[in-house]
Amino acid sequence: MSANPGQEGVMAHDEHAAHEDAGISRFFFGRVPEGVHGGLKQYGLLAIFLAIITLIEFLIIVPEGLQGSGVVIAPLVILSVIKFFCVVAFFMHLKFENPLLWQIFVAGLALGLVVALALVLLFGVFRPTPRAFSEPRIEPFVHHAEDHHAEVARPLPDELPPPADPADLVPVPAPGVTAGASPGQALFVGTAACASCHTIQGVAQGVLGPPLDGIASAAGNRISGYSAEDYIRESIVEPDAYTAGTADGLSQDYQEGLMSATMAGIALSDEDVEALVEYLLSLR
Amino acid sequence: MAHADTTHAPPAHPPADHPPAHEEETTTGINHRKLLMWVFLGSDCLFFGSLIATYMVYRGQSIVGPYPKDIIDVPITTISTFVLLMSSFAMVMGVAAARNGNQKRLVQWLVLTIILGSIFIGFQVYEFNLFRVEGLRYETNLFSSTFFTLTGFHGAHVTLGIFWLICLAIIAARNPAGRPSHLDVDIAGLYWHFVDIVWIVIFTLLYLIGGFDGPPDAGHAAVQGWNWVTGLIS
Repeated sequence: MSANPGQEGVMAHDEHAAHEDAGISRFFFGRVPEGVHGGLKQYGLLAIFLAIITLIEFLIIVPEGLQGSGVVIAPLVILSVIKFFCVVAFFMHLKFENPLLWQIFVAGLALGLVVALALVLLFGVFRPTPRAFSEPRIEPFVHHAEDHHAEVARPLPDELPPPADPADLVPVPAPGVTAGASPGQALFVGTAACASCHTIQGVAQGVLGPPLDGIASAAGNRISGYSAEDYIRESIVEPDAYTAGTADGLSQDYQEGLMSATMAGIALSDEDVEALVEYLLSLR
Repeated sequence: MAHADTTHAPPAHPPADHPPAHEEETTTGINHRKLLMWVFLGSDCLFFGSLIATYMVYRGQSIVGPYPKDIIDVPITTISTFVLLMSSFAMVMGVAAARNGNQKRLVQWLVLTIILGSIFIGFQVYEFNLFRVEGLRYETNLFSSTFFTLTGFHGAHVTLGIFWLICLAIIAARNPAGRPSHLDVDIAGLYWHFVDIVWIVIFTLLYLIGGFDGPPDAGHAAVQGWNWVTGLIS
């Protein structure tokens, strides 16, 4: 790295030296003139060496206790750095090249490392304490449950309706619908709050649950052995028993457990349920 | 490939009976194309450095799964890492064959490199596809976005290298007399080895070290490490 790159002059005249077999120890450890290259012996040895290092790296993390442990980070990084520079020095024969090439490559590498370090420090380590004025805007970190795995395939809106107060639920009746067309429909857009999540043409425009147009026709086909009436009643009383989705020909899957969570604060009497069932059965 | 040489220009394509290596005099003593490749590789260090840093910054901060510990398969990736390493060996043997003017050997080593590189890409296609089916899509979480960006760009590099080597192999197979020159193969080899060393880093950081990451507060060593460093600073 210390030689003046300008001194090297014209490499073409050294071309004859390029065919010299450097020998193994001189190739790897000796000071060799530019243009010396290895052959099967040297490169084969290096390939075996690199393969063994890779195997050691793998063996290091085989014991379960060491997986993800901080202890293994240093040895793994050191081993990969050794591999890295072996490939650069010998496979890319930078050891036998004009030192200017080392300087160029190491400069790029160093810049890359500095950028990486800066990014990690900025966003990973330095965490300033927010000042008082910003407190209302700080979003607390909410850790989702570990068993989110199954739901990941279809990410859902984060803002699940709070399962708490029915008064917070604002039904979304379609314009022009007056409550009281039938007792069931009144409940649907009113106190039962069904319209918050379900769509019925001309009645409600909710989107979080499946649309209910024609539900009376569809309901009989959802679960074998269930009549349309059974299915609708169960879907109201025990929403988690079956969650409709693409398997039923709907355009998307709907979130399991959302309806039971939403309905937790809404008390429906038996008469209410029957009125809703009767209303929904009228939607053919 | 035929050029009409003017009297002043140095012969761009030296006669075939000479090893056509370092053709022309330059102020640095380094062939311009070789210098260009090394400058490019230095800049590519910055490129991958940024992508790796982005992965490390967001590491262990995904709040929905699948997490790396659910989905990363270290043994399979160890095999594909080994395959890529061996492709580097085949490549360097190809460069040696080109230097010795042995076109037949050159073609053989290039074909082996291409096959090994393609196997590596096959592993990656399998891995990406499996991850997708298992619910890890590009937009699923911070882990998936940074993982796919980084390894995807690396895979693109490998794919480009395969095309490059296929071109070289075809030229070498068709015209055993002088092309591709030693330098042509050498420069392609530099690119190929660079892709290999980038994978060495990715394999260590994303698989061996980061492959067991879970959700943010899982008590992961990295998180503890960050907290420790943060504690030192604040």
